[in-house]
Amino acid sequence: MEPIKSEIVVVGAGPGGYAAAFYAADRGKQVALVELNPRLGGVCLNAGCIPSKALLHATAILRETKASAARGIELGQARIDIEKLRAWKESILEKLGQGIKTLAQKRGVQLVYGRGHFEGSQTLRVETAEGQQFINYDKAIIAVGSKPAMPSAFDLGNRRIMTSTEALEIPEVPRDLLVVGGGYIGMELGTVYATLGSNVVVLEALPSILTGVDADLARPVTRAAQKLFKEIRLNTKVVKMATAGKQIKVTTQVGDEQRDEIYDRVLVSVGRAPNYIDLGLENTRVIKDDKSFIKCNAQQQTDDPNIYAIGDVNGGALLAHRATREARIAVEAMFGEPSAFENIVIPAVVYTDPEVAWCGLTETEAKQKGVEIKVAKFLWGASGRALTLDRPDGLTKLIIEPETERILGVGIAGAGAGELISEGVLAVEMGATARDIAESVHPHPTLSETLMEAAESFYGTATHALSKPAA
Amino acid sequence: MDIKLPRLAEGVESGTVVNILVKEGQQIKKDQPIMELETQKAVGSIPSPESGTVTKIHVKEGMEVAVGQALIAIDVEGDAVAAQSAQSNPVAAQKTVSERAQPAPPQTERPGAIQDQSVAHRYDAQSGAPPPAAPSIRKIARELGIDLTRVRGSEAGGRIVLDDLRAYIDRLQRLAFEAKAAAAEAPVDTGPRPAPGETMDFAKWGPVRREKMAPLRRTVSQRMVQSWTTIPKINQFDDADITALLALRKKYAPAYENGRARLTLTAFVVKAVAGALQKYPRANSSLDEAAHEIVYKDYRHIGIAVDTEGGLIVPVLRDADKKSLLEISSELHGLTERTRARKIALEELQGGSFTISNQGSIGGAHFTPIIYAPQVAILGIGQGAAKPVVIDGKIAARMVLPLCLAYDHRVLDGADAVRFLREIIHGLESFPEAEVKLN
Repeated sequence: MEPIKSEIVVVGAGPGGYAAAFYAADRGKQVALVELNPRLGGVCLNAGCIPSKALLHATAILRETKASAARGIELGQARIDIEKLRAWKESILEKLGQGIKTLAQKRGVQLVYGRGHFEGSQTLRVETAEGQQFINYDKAIIAVGSKPAMPSAFDLGNRRIMTSTEALEIPEVPRDLLVVGGGYIGMELGTVYATLGSNVVVLEALPSILTGVDADLARPVTRAAQKLFKEIRLNTKVVKMATAGKQIKVTTQVGDEQRDEIYDRVLVSVGRAPNYIDLGLENTRVIKDDKSFIKCNAQQQTDDPNIYAIGDVNGGALLAHRATREARIAVEAMFGEPSAFENIVIPAVVYTDPEVAWCGLTETEAKQKGVEIKVAKFLWGASGRALTLDRPDGLTKLIIEPETERILGVGIAGAGAGELISEGVLAVEMGATARDIAESVHPHPTLSETLMEAAESFYGTATHALSKPAA
Repeated sequence: MDIKLPRLAEGVESGTVVNILVKEGQQIKKDQPIMELETQKAVGSIPSPESGTVTKIHVKEGMEVAVGQALIAIDVEGDAVAAQSAQSNPVAAQKTVSERAQPAPPQTERPGAIQDQSVAHRYDAQSGAPPPAAPSIRKIARELGIDLTRVRGSEAGGRIVLDDLRAYIDRLQRLAFEAKAAAAEAPVDTGPRPAPGETMDFAKWGPVRREKMAPLRRTVSQRMVQSWTTIPKINQFDDADITALLALRKKYAPAYENGRARLTLTAFVVKAVAGALQKYPRANSSLDEAAHEIVYKDYRHIGIAVDTEGGLIVPVLRDADKKSLLEISSELHGLTERTRARKIALEELQGGSFTISNQGSIGGAHFTPIIYAPQVAILGIGQGAAKPVVIDGKIAARMVLPLCLAYDHRVLDGADAVRFLREIIHGLESFPEAEVKLN
């Protein structure tokens, strides 16, 4: 095949890669987008954000239905058609994947399907179905993302031991499911399977689930999960796994005590690893940081001046929206503009039930760094809207700089927290004060009022709570 | 239109107005000099880019002006309508001119207060959070290269808004303007000097006269202090027997005169030095302390110290190693003449990689020159004189040239320096006649 000459080549068509390719094309650059998977969209669309949220929404209806009986509306026994659920989820992915492809084609972005391999700082070889395709480029953006980590001790080649990628396919609803790792992926997928009927046991090596999330925000999730799951076992390690007929024998250890248990399936959700194996980075000047992610500067440029890296592959918070923001920065930097990653906050959302969302400084972080803060809280039990939704299990809190009353961080636990957090993001990015939020009129009755009331409680004047000024 | 101070040369950002050559209302032609400006080492005239009538002079003699600053305003010829309307409405015209001319009007009321406000502020949050400002404001600041921690926010919680950014830029401009005005009035700090309280009252012992240091004198003074206080310097003395060289010079001088060049001893030294630098490139290098690197230059541009009425000036003879003795001789002559007349271009004073200081025409024996940083060595030449020299056990009268190589010991060691100096001496003592001969 004739080598292609392209001004920019983007390797990986996830939310970082395709955003970068589109933005560069919109600004008049000639762009080639390389993707291994026939459906564009990366992990986010194919094996992450989108399928997990589809399943979480579908299963949330089941829980709602059950809770509905107590409110006087009984819907009878629900019937679950896994195949139909899978097909519905798949149709969403297909629709979105096609959408990205159309957007790429309309912009004149050249799509090259196959595994990319750097031959040097300005040449990429792509193993396409038709043979080797060389691409000579001026600048490259690496956006190859990450994949679920599978410790070699668990990697028995047994399909009953799954990562999130396989679990999202819902091959079956196992009777007993072990989730190894109580992070957000384990908790979200545990919620899906438990609702579908599995007995879910979550094992977490650390003393709490959702490590890093403030304890008061994690508490409503823990409480709900304790009801929904069979068990959440903390401070517990998995020593070994072995195939036991059609099941998996799992040896766990708490303190010095070991015990064997039998599960139908195991979900391993212990973190994610960057996807640059076989990318040919050794032929470039790209180097890795001490956590084995690709090292890059505030302009997303790696140690190879022709190569930029965005998204999961460069570490930090492995979140699609961070990759998308970095895509813009990398392209602007290529245009020689003074762009830099200077966003103060990257919001994070855990789509458990209830959800947890936060942005900016957390209470935990402030404590670790010894930063002096004031915390203003509002419990959802006092929110009219939360009660009408039958979801009083929520909490909204603001992390405030004492001297200036500036909002440094926002944390929300409760139904729809993921949608509510954006007001917090705007407040922190804009340098808003607690007064700014307290004096902005929020519509009634909504859950967003909890942000206003939390701000009011900072001054000891929340309407629906008896609060003293924040200590 | 306003005529602004154009870019003069690399690294030259400002100069002092020495002489204003035009008056308000005067008709001037394109390229006519409008003022003389003294920069680090030269006085140059600023030509008008257009023909027209001078409507306003924005600067005064003695004022320091920066590149891009408005010097005078003229009504461009042919723009008769504009000129007429300016005449019929002088107030409006004047307003426009002054507005354009002074984007940063000097605020003379309370300069101290201005300084306190803008320079002292530094945002420092205990949480490590950046200064509170909307992403749109941060983007503007980034594009303008403004450090937001320096900007005082006026909104609740110290939030920075566009007005704060505007006010900050305004203050910066005013401060810059005041600093320049102050610099034009007060002498520049030339390094270590007695504290104001310790100033000696020389008049106690007799009448004295005080004279302002000219900018050139100040520059020389600064450079010398800098060189003396930063470079660990060693002086290497030696002599060259130039009896044969002088014979060559005597033999060929008339031919050079016909070729409109003066065959001077300096020309021979330049040639010999250029050759020696090729063999010992370290003497032609500079030190990059920040990078811990020695910068070797693939060119040999020789600076020649010239004594002028205003003081020491060092024009540079470029690519000396690639030029014939005739070319060097004629170029040297031109360079020195232009330097003495203060007509030398700024570019001709820059880029030297080694310097020669020849005091021989005035007199004196060995002396220890100061290195012209960032160069690493300088050759000082005294007056050649007949001296008794022992040759093959017999005393003979020879013409002996006293030499001193001063070098930066950070870059050159003693052995390097002696070898390099011996190479120069060898070049002078056995100067090939073929190179002197004119075809």
